Order: sequence, then C-alpha cells, then structure tokens
Amino acid sequence: MTTPGKNIFRTTVVLASTVAMSGCITARMEDERQGLTSITDSESVVIMAKSYHLGNETEQDYITCVEEAMQRGQGKLHVMPHKEFIDALFPWFEPRTAPAETKGLAKLMARPGVAKKLSETGVRYIIWLDGDTERVDQGGSLSCAAGPGGGGCFGFAWWQNDADYKASVWDLQGQESVGSVSADVSGTSYLPALVIPIPLIARTQTAACKGLATQLQAFLISDETA
Amino acid sequence: MIVRLRTALLLPFVALFVAACSTNVAVDMPTIPVPVVTKYPLDVAVRIPPDFKSFVHEEEVIGSSEWTIDLGRANEVLFVQLFGHLFDNLQVLSATDDPRDFTFDALIEPRIEGFEFSTPKQSQTEAFAVWVRYRLTIYDSAGNRFANWPVAAYGKSQKEGLGGTLSLQRAAILAMRDAAALIVSQMEKATGLSALADGPMATPPAAEEELVADSNAKPEGLTAEDSARAVFITGLGGFKK
Repeated sequence: MTTPGKNIFRTTVVLASTVAMSGCITARMEDERQGLTSITDSESVVIMAKSYHLGNETEQDYITCVEEAMQRGQGKLHVMPHKEFIDALFPWFEPRTAPAETKGLAKLMARPGVAKKLSETGVRYIIWLDGDTERVDQGGSLSCAAGPGGGGCFGFAWWQNDADYKASVWDLQGQESVGSVSADVSGTSYLPALVIPIPLIARTQTAACKGLATQLQAFLISDETA
Repeated sequence: MIVRLRTALLLPFVALFVAACSTNVAVDMPTIPVPVVTKYPLDVAVRIPPDFKSFVHEEEVIGSSEWTIDLGRANEVLFVQLFGHLFDNLQVLSATDDPRDFTFDALIEPRIEGFEFSTPKQSQTEAFAVWVRYRLTIYDSAGNRFANWPVAAYGKSQKEGLGGTLSLQRAAILAMRDAAALIVSQMEKATGLSALADGPMATPPAAEEELVADSNAKPEGLTAEDSARAVFITGLGGFKK
C-alpha cells in the first residue's frame, strides 16, 4: 500500500530528475506587426521554408514541428500541409519560382487559374520560415574503453546550439506582409561520464519550434483592435 | 572445421568493408503534379533517347567512397508526365522511330547533358545537392530546328541518417522537379513554342543550320539564332569541372 507521503516523494524525485536531465536553454521571442490580422474557422495557414535557391537551410523536420505545434493548444489553427499546398499550386511555389516578396503576389494571382486554386485551398496566410539550428561552440573530452572485464566512459563534454528562426507572415487576401515573428534560442548540452555517460540535452530546436508556434498563434488570432 | 569457422567469421567483415567502399542510390520515379497553367494547343511528339531509360551516374568522391546513382527510367517518366500536362496531345516516340511517320506541330527531344552531386563533406554543409543539366531541342513539323534550350536544375536535401542515400535520392528528385518547374514557367519565354500552332517556321534557319528531325540527326552546339531566341540558363551553383 502506498501512502500520500510516498507518492509526493516519488513525484518530486521524477520532476527533479527531469529538470536535472536537461541542459540550459535561453529563449527570446519577438514579433513585429505591420498590419492587422484575423482568421476565421474556414481559413487556414501554410508554413513554408524560404527557398534553398536563396541559401536558406531551414530543416524539414522544423517545418513539420511548427505545423504540428500550431494545430495544438488554446489558439490552434487550421494548417494546410506545405507539401499539399506546393503540389496544388505547382509550379508557382517551387524553390525556383516562389515569390520572394509580396510585390510578386499580384503578378502570381494574375496567372491563369492561380487565384481560383488559392481560393480552393482556403489558405489565408503564408508563413515563410527562414533560419536554422547550428552548433556554435563545443568543448571538453570524453573517452570510452571496453575490455574483457567490462567497459566504461570517463570525462566531460559540452556543446552549444543556437536556433535562430524568423517567420514572415503574408496575407494573401490583402496581398501584403502583415509582420514577422522571430525565435532566438540558445541551449547548452552537457555529457558528464563516470563509467556511465549521463546526457543532459538541451532541446534547442524543439524549444524554438514550440515558442515560435505559440507566438505565431497569438500573432494571427489578435483581434482587429490590435 | 576451423577453416570453415574462420571463413564464416571473416565473411561479414569482408562484406562490410566492400559495402563501406561504395554507395548505391536508386532514384524513385518522380511524380509531377498537374501544373496550374493553360495547356498549349499543340500536338507534340517527344522522342525519348536511349539513356533516358537507364541513366546511371558513377563517381568516385576523393577521400570518400564510390557513388553509383541509378536514375533508371526517372527522366523518361518526368518528361512524359510533364509534357502530357503541358500539351493538348502528346505522342511518345522511341529513339528508333522516324518522326516523318508521325503528324505533329512540334517534336521535342530532351537530352541529359550533365549530372553532378555534392556530399555534405565536400560542401561543408549539412546537405546533399544535385545538379542536372538537360537540353531540349525543338523541331517544327517540317523538321527545322526551332529552339535549343539548356535547362539547368538544382535540388538540395538535408542529410538524414548515417549513409545519406535517402537524402541524395531526395535531392535528385528535387532537381528533376526543379527542371519541371523551370520548363513550365519559362517554356514560352525561352522558346516561343506556341508560334508552332500556326504551322512550321516561315523562314527556316540557314541551310547549314537545318536539322532534319530524324533519329540519325547528331546533336549540335548552339547557334547565334538559338542563343537569341531560346537560350535561358538558370540555376545556382553551376556545374563543377
């Protein structure tokens, strides 16, 4: 039989372990509004990576992460999968042909069939992601050895990742940019080893994904009085 | 008995060593979505060259392994799908077909002129990149060469997993899709192809530039006229020598 005291102790140990098992993260989210935003239940957004033809290196799994995160929580939105959107409008949102500025939207809409197709998708906002996660520093040393009697590791290693992303929001209805949201997250991971390595990993990219998605939800749902 | 045991123990290591020295990548068939464009009101024939049915690129990366990239029929599938979406009517001719036996407004002969790739180690990035250079030669219904258009395409995919074969495969597919996007968006601007709906060229090129669109015609370089009318080279990075 378990007592309430034992349960509290167990919960505290689990929480403390969880906190201790992750590295240090510092995060900064900012937004810059240029226009009013609002979105109805029948409208959706699409998350796209800026073109790799322009040197952008946003990771595929980061885009998927933001797509999923924006469909969860209190401010959840309808998100059209980017692959589906790109296929539906082929070839006008390919890395080579996608408009780089909102000025290109009017020309794009004037192409035969494009405005109709866009309307069918129900997409109101395009969110262009730019940026990536990079390892900016690392140090320490760790060595492992194994023999007939067993093996083990000894040492200490650490590394720092920076996730720097910017999301530019385009309103397809007004054919204008309504602002941008940025996420700057820095995380340091540690790997001490005394026989057994104990990884204390900082989930930098995941923090940047969740932070940016939450900020984008708030940005888009803001009422017209904002 | 001991010899057999030794052989059995050695075999996996030998297999591992051989596998580590070469990487084989088989590229899936690309799927080109229906483009959001108005179809050309043209009857077009496309003549598929033999290497489009089994294109294999082999390259030894210095300090790394040997790569074999098998595009198989991917190029053929790409162009047949694409032209099927672009033109009112499409006939697919084999390399041995004589175009004079067929009726069309335009004959398009795609060729693959170059295939290059880079690994993350070479480019010092986290991505595989693929460059493909195609050339589209277009003839009118009288067999005059109407346009000669080089199409340079580029695809890039982040490295995932240990070997990178999936990433390279994806980069190759993206490069082919990039070529399709370029052809759809720039075909008219680069070649003026829709003019062939009114019949063959009124003033054929000078005699020495004339090409009969038969299967024995040999590829030639660009002429000044082609350059003025049809040459439209795009693509980043270019081709490595």
